Amino acid sequence: MTVWLEIGGKKQRVELPTGAVTGVMECSVEGRALSVDVRMLEPGVMSLLVTDPDRQGRQYRCVLDGDGVVIGGRRYGFEVDDPRSLQGRRGAGAGTEGPRPVKAPMPGRVVRLLVEVGEDVEEGQGVVVIEAMKMQNELKSPKAGRVVRVGAAVGETVGSGDVLVVVE
Amino acid sequence: MLIANRGEIALRVIRACREMGLATVAVYSDADRGALHVLHADEAYWLGPAPATESYLRGDLILEIARRVGADAVHPGYGFLSENAEFAEACEAVGVTFIGPPASAMRVLGSKTRARQAADAAEMPRVPGSVTGLADVAEAVRVAASIGYPVMLKAAAGGGGKGMRAVTKAEELAGAFTAASSEAERSFGSGEVYLEKLIERPRHIEIQLMADEHGHCVYLGERECSVQRRHQKVIEEAPSAVVSEDLRRRMGEAATRLALSAGYVNAGTVEFLVDAEENFYFLEMNTRLQVEHPVTEMVTGLDLVHLQLRVAMGEPLPITQDDVRLRGHAIECRIYAEDPENNFFPSPGLITRLVQPGGPGIREDCAVFAGWRVPLDYDPMLSKLVAFAPTREMAIDRMLRALEEYVIGGIKTNIGLFRRILTDEDFRAARIDTGYLERLLAAGHASGSAHGEETVSEDVVAVAAALFAVSARREEAPVGEAAAESRWAEAGRREGLRL
Repeated sequence: MTVWLEIGGKKQRVELPTGAVTGVMECSVEGRALSVDVRMLEPGVMSLLVTDPDRQGRQYRCVLDGDGVVIGGRRYGFEVDDPRSLQGRRGAGAGTEGPRPVKAPMPGRVVRLLVEVGEDVEEGQGVVVIEAMKMQNELKSPKAGRVVRVGAAVGETVGSGDVLVVVE
Repeated sequence: MLIANRGEIALRVIRACREMGLATVAVYSDADRGALHVLHADEAYWLGPAPATESYLRGDLILEIARRVGADAVHPGYGFLSENAEFAEACEAVGVTFIGPPASAMRVLGSKTRARQAADAAEMPRVPGSVTGLADVAEAVRVAASIGYPVMLKAAAGGGGKGMRAVTKAEELAGAFTAASSEAERSFGSGEVYLEKLIERPRHIEIQLMADEHGHCVYLGERECSVQRRHQKVIEEAPSAVVSEDLRRRMGEAATRLALSAGYVNAGTVEFLVDAEENFYFLEMNTRLQVEHPVTEMVTGLDLVHLQLRVAMGEPLPITQDDVRLRGHAIECRIYAEDPENNFFPSPGLITRLVQPGGPGIREDCAVFAGWRVPLDYDPMLSKLVAFAPTREMAIDRMLRALEEYVIGGIKTNIGLFRRILTDEDFRAARIDTGYLERLLAAGHASGSAHGEETVSEDVVAVAAALFAVSARREEAPVGEAAAESRWAEAGRREGLRL
């Protein structure tokens, strides 16, 4: 089967034997062959042993962390791309056309709202301040436009990714 | 023993108490019902809602619990009530032993301006500047002119970099004075600020003290804490690579003199700035156990919390100054829930996975686990990772090895930052001062492969990611495995019934 990935801004087409996630297998990345011996030790933790003649015996402990894989103390973020849905996903939220959300980058508490619905804002203007662990973070408008929605109130606890303000 | 704290330090103290056969009482806020310090305690009592002002800072509630459950003593840990003289006094008043110095010594040494007066009396070198709070901007301008720019404004009640401003010229002083004073007012309830000369490129080196009630005080070597970001310590080591036997003795004796002059008892730390010519200047005294106490424990072979408890029971110190011997080198990394890629913004949340390092010479003081939700109400420190080895170089390499093993999933941490510091040539050569880390961060990402760094081929990363993606997809659409699991569960229930 084919898995399309995006790792560090680079597209990677990975071929895996159908149905296998453990054991000895022949894989390829962008057409480059790689044979590996895979053991899933527990969900999200695996030992990957390279069995290619030139790199034989090289072992990697790989740990899944959300949308990233940690190998040798380093985290590599990845996205699974379905080429058919790529167009649609990329369209939303990009560019300066249409409404753009200001999302909470981290969980936190809203300490100040700097704008009201109907107000005109510049690109980069602070619109809301959230606080977590005694640190405040001012979130800025992604574009010039008018505030069409304020989705949070002062004192409210918000989660990562929550839409706090929408600018159109 | 009631432990009036949370997180790793509460657990650290509970462990020492258990080793000494003392029953432990934890207190907790709404955010901490499932926290490790609660799980390790013999008894636990609810304090209040998550915000510290309604829970861990409520000395009245804590004392009320101590009296109700018959606790003989309260250990304040660090932060929260640990340097609050009123709380120490309130404990004394109701016959509960406060593990720390007497309130009187705390008053003298805890306020930075009064401590500077005490330092003068103990003939200890200090940074030139005012020894009383500044009345207004005019006085600040006068003092600054007399000692010369650049100067540093500091909160008298301060700590952790709050209420501090560096000022390089007279025009900036008025604005900085107002900002420092109002920040100090917000953070510590006192707007008192003073002013001292800014020492260029200083090292931050501190002396650990332990004093008993019988007039004995020993210094347990120094800690180098120059790797800081925004005045917050990030890496600490013991001993310092630049402190000679002679300098250690001079700093240690000065610190001891200061403590004895104020009637100090229990663990305390005297902080110094040390310049390039090995001049040392008194900075302040911390009248409590420090976050970074483990590095001192590693190189002295002593247990500071055990000593704290014995001293509080009225025992004389079991060691003299001659018994204190430093052996090997220890480094501590403070692992924070913060995102180095996003201006170090805090990253609270659910820890989905935790793989902790182990092996020779590794100690971890930690109070998190997989499944723990790091609350957004408190300090973002998750863990203190300590590496101990015969030499500094070996300790650095041991720490790098441990960091490679470490995985904290679900939230962002500063683990990657440590790799960068520990492989940096200047750090490895001990060319560090309090501005070192800010300069390293400003320099941007290091290019090329750093010391001992191995890059994983992108093909291996891609295959691993693809395998995880496929296996995750399979879990979402359960077929064989889930069915098998439920059969196991069914069998388990049958077995359970049979018992």
